[in-house]
Amino acid sequence: MPRFSSTPILALLLSMPVSAEPLNVVSWGGAYEAAQKEAIFEPYSEQTGEELEIHQYAGEPDGLTTRAASENWDVVDMVEDQAIAACERGDILPLDPDELGLDPDDFSPAPIRRCSVPHTIFATVMAYDDRRFPGVKPNSIEDFFDTERFPGARGLEKRPDVILEWALLAEGVPAIQVYDLLSTERGLDLAFRALDRIRDDIIWWQNPAEAAEMLADGRAVMASGYNGRFFALKHEEKANIAILWDGRIISNDAWAIPASSRRQEAAKSFIAFAARPEPMAALASRIPYGPSRPDAFERIGLNPLDATPMRPHLPNSPEHGSRMLVRDSEWYAHTHELRMRRFRGWLKNDR
Amino acid sequence: MDRGSKSQGLAEVFRRVPILCAVAIVIGSIASLGALLFVEAVGWMNDALLISPRSRVQWDGNTVFLAAATVLVPTIGGAVVGLLVRQSGGRPLGPPDVIAAVQLANPLPAPRHGFGSTLAAVISLGSGASVGQYGPMVYLGALIGGLIRRFRLAIPDLPEIGIACGVAAAIATAFNAPIAGMVFAHEVVLRHYSTRAFAPVTIAATTGFVTASLIFEREPLFLVAFEGVRYWHEFLLFALLGVVGAVTAICFMHLILRMARLAAASSLPGWLRPAVAGLGVGLTGLWLPDILGIGNETLRFATIPGAFGTSELAMIIAAKITLSALCIGFGFAGGVFSPALLIGILLGAFFWAIWAPFMPQSGVAPYALAGMMALASPIIGAPLTCILILFELTHNYDITIAAMVSVVISNMIGHRAFGRSLFDRQLAGRNIILQQGRDRARMEAQTVIGLLRNDFPTCRMTDGATQIWAMLQGRNTAFVLDQAGRLAGTVSLADLRDAVDTASVAEVMRPASLVFDKATSIFAAMARLGDFVGDAVAVIDESGRYLGAVPEAALIRAYLDLSGRLREEENAAL
Repeated sequence: MPRFSSTPILALLLSMPVSAEPLNVVSWGGAYEAAQKEAIFEPYSEQTGEELEIHQYAGEPDGLTTRAASENWDVVDMVEDQAIAACERGDILPLDPDELGLDPDDFSPAPIRRCSVPHTIFATVMAYDDRRFPGVKPNSIEDFFDTERFPGARGLEKRPDVILEWALLAEGVPAIQVYDLLSTERGLDLAFRALDRIRDDIIWWQNPAEAAEMLADGRAVMASGYNGRFFALKHEEKANIAILWDGRIISNDAWAIPASSRRQEAAKSFIAFAARPEPMAALASRIPYGPSRPDAFERIGLNPLDATPMRPHLPNSPEHGSRMLVRDSEWYAHTHELRMRRFRGWLKNDR
Repeated sequence: MDRGSKSQGLAEVFRRVPILCAVAIVIGSIASLGALLFVEAVGWMNDALLISPRSRVQWDGNTVFLAAATVLVPTIGGAVVGLLVRQSGGRPLGPPDVIAAVQLANPLPAPRHGFGSTLAAVISLGSGASVGQYGPMVYLGALIGGLIRRFRLAIPDLPEIGIACGVAAAIATAFNAPIAGMVFAHEVVLRHYSTRAFAPVTIAATTGFVTASLIFEREPLFLVAFEGVRYWHEFLLFALLGVVGAVTAICFMHLILRMARLAAASSLPGWLRPAVAGLGVGLTGLWLPDILGIGNETLRFATIPGAFGTSELAMIIAAKITLSALCIGFGFAGGVFSPALLIGILLGAFFWAIWAPFMPQSGVAPYALAGMMALASPIIGAPLTCILILFELTHNYDITIAAMVSVVISNMIGHRAFGRSLFDRQLAGRNIILQQGRDRARMEAQTVIGLLRNDFPTCRMTDGATQIWAMLQGRNTAFVLDQAGRLAGTVSLADLRDAVDTASVAEVMRPASLVFDKATSIFAAMARLGDFVGDAVAVIDESGRYLGAVPEAALIRAYLDLSGRLREEENAAL
């Protein structure tokens, strides 16, 4: 029996004095932020009278240490591993689920952590421009590294993240062993060796919205990116984008409160609201990011834009095939320096 | 069924079937859970003690701390293992003890000793020693299965069947391989296929598989994408790999035995020896982290082309052979199968790297996996098991066919040049010779003391011949003892018949033509009985004191009973 009910949350929300200063919430921009606006931000403002000011942040390392204070951030939507690392550094505040009116048992597979509350499950996937491959189409992550059969530029985020996992998956390493192997010098060498093979075909992106745009405007034939972004461009602008679900990497975002926040109580009330099943389901109905609590699934309906049934587009839908990897947030949080060092070294080594 | 009437026999079958099934399921479940717990405990320790790469990488940048942990963890772990083993029986237990118990129909060592040895194995593996996990898992399964001996269920051979059930479940759990588990229990432990054992062992193996794969959803260790051997000439290479595997396995086994002798001859106290081996592992680990622990990452790397350089492979193979032999020989608790798999897979990859530039081939995977089993098979003496483990690990028929060629060649050479397995050689070191067959081993294990009787006439050397003649009513021979009770000789009715009335026994006695001592086995006794004529053979102790005598008929009966018992065991129906 979940302890959660909307009554204490509502009480918490209504008890908050409305401030003249807006609550500064940080998101990721693009289609994702637009969906959040409809599903979470506007309903929250309507219910509490609280004005929200939305900022964009793409996980740059210095964000929490410099921008958070100067821009008065109160709530940040973060990738979980960055939240774990930030929590260990003391950059974000510890959260008490009881104080937020949340039951940890309601959250699965991502747990409530010491300083963050999980909210959306997303997948980093490889997508391709359907027009560029009229005959044989890419159908596995190995094809991303095969520039002979599938020539053309590859759009990749300029970070040593999913590409390392994909490189080992493409070498035949089972998902369950990927992080064990990437924990060794030899594993990292293998991953960068695979990157070497496509070095001349890589074009980098740094803003998540760019990945889908690269495919739409023809700059790249394949790109890594977030499933929701590809979905949005494909459905809203009818772009010829096909998502390859093989080797998808499942991650989750989490809400956190920067240590520099001047409105911590209001920030907690926002998180308590956003972590309810209704806003999560509303978000998943607009952009295919799964909720972090199972009781939100049954509330997910049709996309309000074009009545698309959204459940088949969620990252963990069984029809996407069995080869997937759940991003290990702990591993990510504790290997950031190593990965960046190796990645920078590899970039410098450009021939 | 040759006892009682037909209906009684049928009733007995109906009584035994549910009991055997229940025993198999219970032992299979507990042994499987025990094996899973064992693996989890080792994994947890590897993470906590910075042995696993995944834990070590999170300390990236703390070079001094990592280096200190790399050296100190196996060293301190070795000292703890040494003290623990000293407290629980004096040596780690493993598959040879299981084989000996089953083959000689003896109980396993005391459970306290067994659980202590299992804990020592967890600490050994958890602290990164270069030993294997499957040997201790097999022993743990046997230990759990062997507890059935305490229940009086009136089913023949139940203790041995129980042990085999535990072993089968442990292997099925370890490799997600129920068929291999069942075959291993028969091929290595029972060494026969009887219906009475086959059915429960198969049920136990299946139970282990269901527990591991379906209940706990553990994935197979080695799913490999491989589309088949493309060139006929590669089968010649697989055969050659079998030869290379056999030679390497023989060197490895000799090195293990030599290290054990070296440890025994050293002046180091027993409890300190594993710490010395641990120090060797730690120091090598600073330079070659691949050798730390079980090495699941290294196993996988070996199947990826180019993950290792050729000279690097040779170096890791040499280091792993040396360190595994050092750890096992110097008293770390653990098996030899995991190191053999690792050395073998690296050897296969090395073999491929040598040949790949010169001829077309199908990639590194079949060579790596064939090498893995070509090296492991002669060591555990189980070719069928190795072939089946590979099949069930990879779910790949083509790789299994390739490996089968290597395994058969390797096993043939290994058996001829070294013996059936390392286990058998280790048992031979304890005077348990299984090379000549199960019947001989069991007869070697049973001494004549069990047949000793004290109702044969004895006399003193000073006794008169006439007096002894009167005493020998219905007997042919008396044993003559000196003042200290030592056997001086024998005197027979024929000797006494020709003696004068005044003669003493000393004047007419003869030296005993055949004498046994306390350690004489039934097999040795039978072998020496050939030219013996008489009622019974005297048995003496170390000082020559007469203990009693063994009648010739009793010896022959014991020999026939043992042979018959084995025949019945090997052909037993339910």
